[in-house]
Amino acid sequence: MQGLYDWILNDSGIRIDVIIEYFPLFMKGTLYTLGISISGILIGCILGLIIAFGKMSRLMPIRLPFVWYINFFRGTPLLVQILIIHFGVTPLFIAGASPIKAVISAIIALSLNSAAYLAEIYRAGIQSIDKGQVEAGRSLGMNKVQTMSYIVLPQSIKRMIPPFGNEFITLIKDSSLASVIAAPELLYWARAVNGKFFIVWESLLFIALIYLVITLSLTYLLNYIEKRWNIDDNR
Amino acid sequence: MITVNNLKKSFGDNEVLKDINLQIKPQEVVVIIGPSGSGKSTCLRCMNLLESITAGEVHIEGVNLTDKNTDINQIRTEVGMVFQQFNLFPHKSVLENITLAPIKVRKWSKEKANKVALDLLEKVNLSEKANAYPDSLSGGQKQRVAIARALAMEPKIMLFDEPTSALDPEMVGEVLDVMKQLAKEGMTMVVVTHEMGFAREVGDRVIFMDEGYIIEENVPEKLFDFPSHERTKSFLSKVL
Ligand SMILES: Nc1ncnc2c1ncn2[C@@H]1O[C@H](COP(=O)(O)OP(=O)(O)OP(=O)(O)O)[C@@H](O)[C@H]1O
Ligand SMILES: [Mg+2]
Repeated sequence: MQGLYDWILNDSGIRIDVIIEYFPLFMKGTLYTLGISISGILIGCILGLIIAFGKMSRLMPIRLPFVWYINFFRGTPLLVQILIIHFGVTPLFIAGASPIKAVISAIIALSLNSAAYLAEIYRAGIQSIDKGQVEAGRSLGMNKVQTMSYIVLPQSIKRMIPPFGNEFITLIKDSSLASVIAAPELLYWARAVNGKFFIVWESLLFIALIYLVITLSLTYLLNYIEKRWNIDDNR
Repeated sequence: MITVNNLKKSFGDNEVLKDINLQIKPQEVVVIIGPSGSGKSTCLRCMNLLESITAGEVHIEGVNLTDKNTDINQIRTEVGMVFQQFNLFPHKSVLENITLAPIKVRKWSKEKANKVALDLLEKVNLSEKANAYPDSLSGGQKQRVAIARALAMEPKIMLFDEPTSALDPEMVGEVLDVMKQLAKEGMTMVVVTHEMGFAREVGDRVIFMDEGYIIEENVPEKLFDFPSHERTKSFLSKVL
């Protein structure tokens, strides 16, 4: 065992030492990846709810912009969206070039993008609730907002959790696209290290492992929440 | 208490209510009967604007429902509705089902709402189910909870849309008993039902609808025993 360990470290040619030396940077990259993804999903959740209601409006002129918002963000490559926002939108309010500017661009792009997907998840969840539930609420004198918040949304959230989880996982993986605009997240550091030491496998496999740990933990957590919820439900 | 003038309702090109005129007095129990698709539910649902009104007017206690300035949520607090499919809130306990609207709409304290709800549950013989969830109840129990939920808002009028049609036969009686009790207490009620026994016993007036028109209306004894229109006769001969 000790022999294998020594061989990997010293004679195999695998540059574990680089990973160890740059470990703090990889950890920093992990934090940025998580920060960008979590900010993206949180803002996306709020925006997505607004867009979902906009798209469900009965008035065509209100509905149309939301329909096209969703069409645009789901129908064009996220990488293109990131580039448009980083080079077109963010410079309108942040001058110069800095890592933090790239991070902000990445958060904006991922928020806007996930909002489009989340809006469709909300809409499907809301529309899956039996019409009779809304009628019962309205017939008791509750207004639309009350009926939505006390009756429809609480029932649909449970159905939204699995697709929500999928979207969050997609978002975490897609945040790696932000390396293109030099946001200091995981893939950015991996490519920086690779460039410096002319290596390929070590850092890419290492960050792949980190992504895998994050997404699998999330999958596990979501399954757990879902199970708990179902148990609570069968009272 | 309820006045319906020249009410018309269309779904697209399909005119479902063609010219409905109707007066309902306080404390009256009016039963609406008629073949499937004749527009009974639609007529009832126009009375609390669950269906929009295409033409004509509905007045509830003098308030014109089609007037743009009418606060429809306010009207609905005065008009309770019971549905064929119960429509209980599955994520809330029986007690919460009943107290939700009084707390959120009437702005009652939780204590007051709970007290009223428990009294109502006693009235519908379900005191022991206060903390149960709808999924664990039988159809008859669900419908009694639904009635209690509507009553908790202290409505002046109650609308029932085939409240016993989704029930197993042995549970119909327990729901009708609650409705009879309510009628005895003087509630103004409009009931769409196929329970002719109930119509005869409790109804002050029976309305026969067909193809979007009120064909005939009369006190139950006259309408059931001496119907004056052919269509009423043929309908009654099929259901009685
Ligand atoms: N939301 C709707 N959209 C389109 N058509 C509808 C809608 N609701 C009802 N209708 C149509 O209106 C007509 C009357 O329906 P309604 O439900 O009022 O009949 P009903 O007398 O209550 O019948 P039943 O005894 O079967 O309940 C039917 O032809 C039905 O298909
Ligand atoms: Mg009907």
